Amino acid sequence: MTDHKLQRPPAEIRFADELARLRETDTGARPPGWQLSLDAARRFIIGDQKADISRKFVGDPSLIDRALVTLATSRGLMLVGEPGTAKSLLSELLATAISGDSTLTIQGGAATTEDQIKYSWNYALLVAEGPSTRSLVPAPMLRGMAEGKVVRFEEITRCPLEVQDSMLSLLSDRVLAVPELTGAESMVFAREGFNVIATANTRDRGVNEMSAALKRRFNFETVFPISDFTIELDLVESEASALLARSGVTTPPSRDVLEVLVTTFRELRSGVTEHGATMDRLSTVMSTAEAVSVAHAVGLRGWFLRGEAGTPADIVECLAGTAAKDNAEDLARVRRYLEQQVPKKKGPQWRAFHAARHALPG
Amino acid sequence: MPATFVGVRHHSPACARLVAATIAAQRPAYVLVEGPADFNGRVNELLLGHELPIAIFSYYRDGKRANAAWSPLCAYSPEWVALTAAQQVGAEVKFIDLPAWHSALADRSNRYADAEQRYADAIDRLCRTFAVDNVDTLWDHLFEVPDDDGLAERLAAYFDLIRGEADADENDRAREAYMAEWVRAAVAQAGDRPVVVVTGGFHRPALVRLAADPASTVDWPALPALPDGALGGSYLVPYSFKRLDAFDGYQSGMPSPGYYQRVWQDGLEKAASGLVESVVARLRNRKQVVSTADLIAARATAGGLARLRGHRHPARTDVLDGLVAALVSNALDTPLPWTTRGHLATGTEPVVVEMVAALSGDQVGRLHPDSPLPPLVHDVTAELERHRLDVTGPLQLELTAEPDLARSQVLHRLRVLGIPGVRRDSGPDLGGAPLLDERWQLSPDADRLSALIEAGAYGATLVDAALAALDERVTGNDGDIGALAAVLFDAALCGLPDLSEKVRDAIARCVGRASELGPLGQALATVLGLWRHDRLLGSAHSPTLGALITSATTRVLWLAEGIHGGPAPANLGRVSALAAVRDALLHAGQELGLDREAPLALAHRLAVDQTVPPDLRGAALGFALSLGVAGEPSAAARGAARPEVLGDWLTGLFALARETLLAGDGEAGDPAGPTLLAVLDETISTMTEHDFLVALPALRQAFGFFPPRERETIARRLLDRRGVRASARDLLRVSVAPELLAQAAELEARVDELLAGEGLIDVEKSA
Repeated sequence: MTDHKLQRPPAEIRFADELARLRETDTGARPPGWQLSLDAARRFIIGDQKADISRKFVGDPSLIDRALVTLATSRGLMLVGEPGTAKSLLSELLATAISGDSTLTIQGGAATTEDQIKYSWNYALLVAEGPSTRSLVPAPMLRGMAEGKVVRFEEITRCPLEVQDSMLSLLSDRVLAVPELTGAESMVFAREGFNVIATANTRDRGVNEMSAALKRRFNFETVFPISDFTIELDLVESEASALLARSGVTTPPSRDVLEVLVTTFRELRSGVTEHGATMDRLSTVMSTAEAVSVAHAVGLRGWFLRGEAGTPADIVECLAGTAAKDNAEDLARVRRYLEQQVPKKKGPQWRAFHAARHALPG
Repeated sequence: MPATFVGVRHHSPACARLVAATIAAQRPAYVLVEGPADFNGRVNELLLGHELPIAIFSYYRDGKRANAAWSPLCAYSPEWVALTAAQQVGAEVKFIDLPAWHSALADRSNRYADAEQRYADAIDRLCRTFAVDNVDTLWDHLFEVPDDDGLAERLAAYFDLIRGEADADENDRAREAYMAEWVRAAVAQAGDRPVVVVTGGFHRPALVRLAADPASTVDWPALPALPDGALGGSYLVPYSFKRLDAFDGYQSGMPSPGYYQRVWQDGLEKAASGLVESVVARLRNRKQVVSTADLIAARATAGGLARLRGHRHPARTDVLDGLVAALVSNALDTPLPWTTRGHLATGTEPVVVEMVAALSGDQVGRLHPDSPLPPLVHDVTAELERHRLDVTGPLQLELTAEPDLARSQVLHRLRVLGIPGVRRDSGPDLGGAPLLDERWQLSPDADRLSALIEAGAYGATLVDAALAALDERVTGNDGDIGALAAVLFDAALCGLPDLSEKVRDAIARCVGRASELGPLGQALATVLGLWRHDRLLGSAHSPTLGALITSATTRVLWLAEGIHGGPAPANLGRVSALAAVRDALLHAGQELGLDREAPLALAHRLAVDQTVPPDLRGAALGFALSLGVAGEPSAAARGAARPEVLGDWLTGLFALARETLLAGDGEAGDPAGPTLLAVLDETISTMTEHDFLVALPALRQAFGFFPPRERETIARRLLDRRGVRASARDLLRVSVAPELLAQAAELEARVDELLAGEGLIDVEKSA
């Protein structure tokens, strides 16, 4: 596989070099079936300047500690949080660090079936030869258990309850039965190193509640939006710059404009302004990922419409689409924010932001 | 012989062990401790045999500023250990820091806060390097958990690194210069006997450097004198782990006193298991299920985390992380409190709240009976004598008379401090009738002295203490706007309408959390009244009240915009909230610098938005009209002419701008178009009987805003419109016999009584 042709290579290819170096120098004890020791896995994710390992996840280091220790025990790891808090990225990094493979992924959804979790059949071979390991098409759980690897289950709460329940026995008995086969092949026992990382959106709780039985088999870790303003601003700046560069925009986004954008997102997300006033939170998600995409859009507008980096007025135009989506109440909240909170802030960029408030549609 | 400097983190058991070991090994002549130098003559008071924690409470007040500061001491405080260890080896203890009243400590309420918190860059980088969440975890990781071997060197390296990168500010430099004078004097006086200096580690590098300069004199440094006309002093007060843990921001020191007390007594391993036990006990007390399987999982995770993080025994956060992993099986709404610093956020998971409570502990200190009493006790006695209030029995006060007003204020100050034996039976009340006299009941009470000693922590004089208590009630308020208004009213009654600066932020925060328009508007109206008129209580134009007016106007507008819904009976609460905002803009707008433009824009939007309830639409129109903006009420009235809407819309309009109805002369052919009265007359005349009955109750409510004289004017205009010449007053008279009305009223009262007797209606509502 040559990675420069891929739109988004998996973590084990993107960071192959770092993984190799970590493996070489790793002297710590490895849990059975793990490719790295806990300490090296942790350094792979939160970075290690001395060893030139990049920081891949911005968040509390203790979250990574707890996640790794959980995965070393017999409980699965459930990452919950608002959309756009990099849960999937974290699960990809964890799987890469532990198993060197992040591709054993089940994407949960209303149409997910047991076949996509356990195994299905190559029907041509099944008809020709009958059930055999040759005609069996293993799905991620089967492969993860047989090979002793970490399986990722994205958006588990979007699956119907009965599909979620099919995970129960796999997680507690650590064995997957294939009744169609006979002999030793009919039971696939999980090898050391197997575990499950599931992710779930807190906003999706209404879609499917998780059964108490399944909850007991997971340790829950909540992933929060980035708490530090500067870190979030830096992250938005670097991500947006990379996106803009890829879209052929040569001016980097202006720091002032990004500051307005990130502050606005943080305040609308938390419902608290930097002066401590409280206001209604938006019902839409104001994640860092959304901020990056708005910053991208602002840069595109500025560059392709006027040949410059984008202004606070562009943010107002974009907010209607991202923050308010098609929710009239959220739109009103954004308008109130622009009208009542923004004038309290100081600086020319905030004044421009306030002056552009009429650009908000509706 | 040069001094030995022990740089500590305040309230760190590891540092306390180091201090004890150093003093025991060196047997110094002097032990110098970072503490208020004005307490030096009274070190013996500390050793009377109190139950810890206690604190040295220092206060200062002059015309410009006031502050109260605590130097808290618990069993594992390095400073406390230095005191007791020095006593054992016969060393003399000296406090060497500036008194709390010195300007260098003006913004400090906790002398033993982490100084290095104010210089955060180096700490951030260290946290990143060691992959920990914050300075508390970092501290555990580096100092509390590892063996004590080489602790002194590690501490010195840590503080040198932090200090090396930071330029201390002017205040720290002043304190360090003063402390260094003491060190030089002590070294000179001790001759060839050792001297041990125990200070915050942040100051150590500077002190080592400064103390190396030769001493110019061998005398002890002089104590900075109190400025003329200022009050200040220090007293011992009982303290508690809860208060120790409640300092916030730059005032905060090492958290979790309950846990570190255990570390100090029993060591790290037992403290970890003790923490688990007390969390489980607390949870089970609250009828939460904690299964054995959970505990095993918690222990396994804690052990795993400790190994991963390289700890000999599970440290504080290892245990907590393990417990959270095992006990919490749903998404959290707020980050775990030990990953951030600061107070518990609202919405914190109950299990986590119990964990933090277990960390804090609930130990409360007690002073030895021989301890000198705080000055408040003497001040109160003197005040009561001065105002001839040292009596018992009932007391009636005329607030308009100067001596009685002062006496009332003294009693109110005692009341807000919660001193028993002072009860007010009647007097001016929040939102009540404007009474001018008060009745009190004074009685002796056995608990009065102990309550006064505790209140002594609020301040040295009755005025200071009452101010501080009121401040605390405001800052502790979490969104109860009625209670907030009550505190401000109490402040006015105490004759202290201007609370401190920080209270204004707290008011803004509290108002910002208010979610009901009605109570908010009521509070705004009351406070606006106090602000505008109250010369009796001296609260007119008080900046504290101004702060509430400013934030409440913004909040009312913010809430008003969020209200949507179809026709519904008029909500007088929200209508009067808008009226209160209008009054604030009219009467206080200029002085408080309130913005007029945004409210008017909002009113305009509300007035034309069909998804806004009719009463609010009408009120918004009235709002704009009464602020002098031209509008077309008659056109708007046509828009609101539906029978189920009209009355409610008019209620909103008339509540704010009833003069609109009588504007214009009502002549046909008026260039401004038909008047509002004409439109209403036309609308109501064309209603069918059914429509009219639907509209009637709300219309009655709307016209209830007009006093009889204006109703008569309305009646005359109506007669004129029809060209009828008759007495307008007759139209207002009820045509039934008064006896019949009296009978109806009596019947209604009896029905209410019956209903109330059966518990079917609320008695107060029927009254």
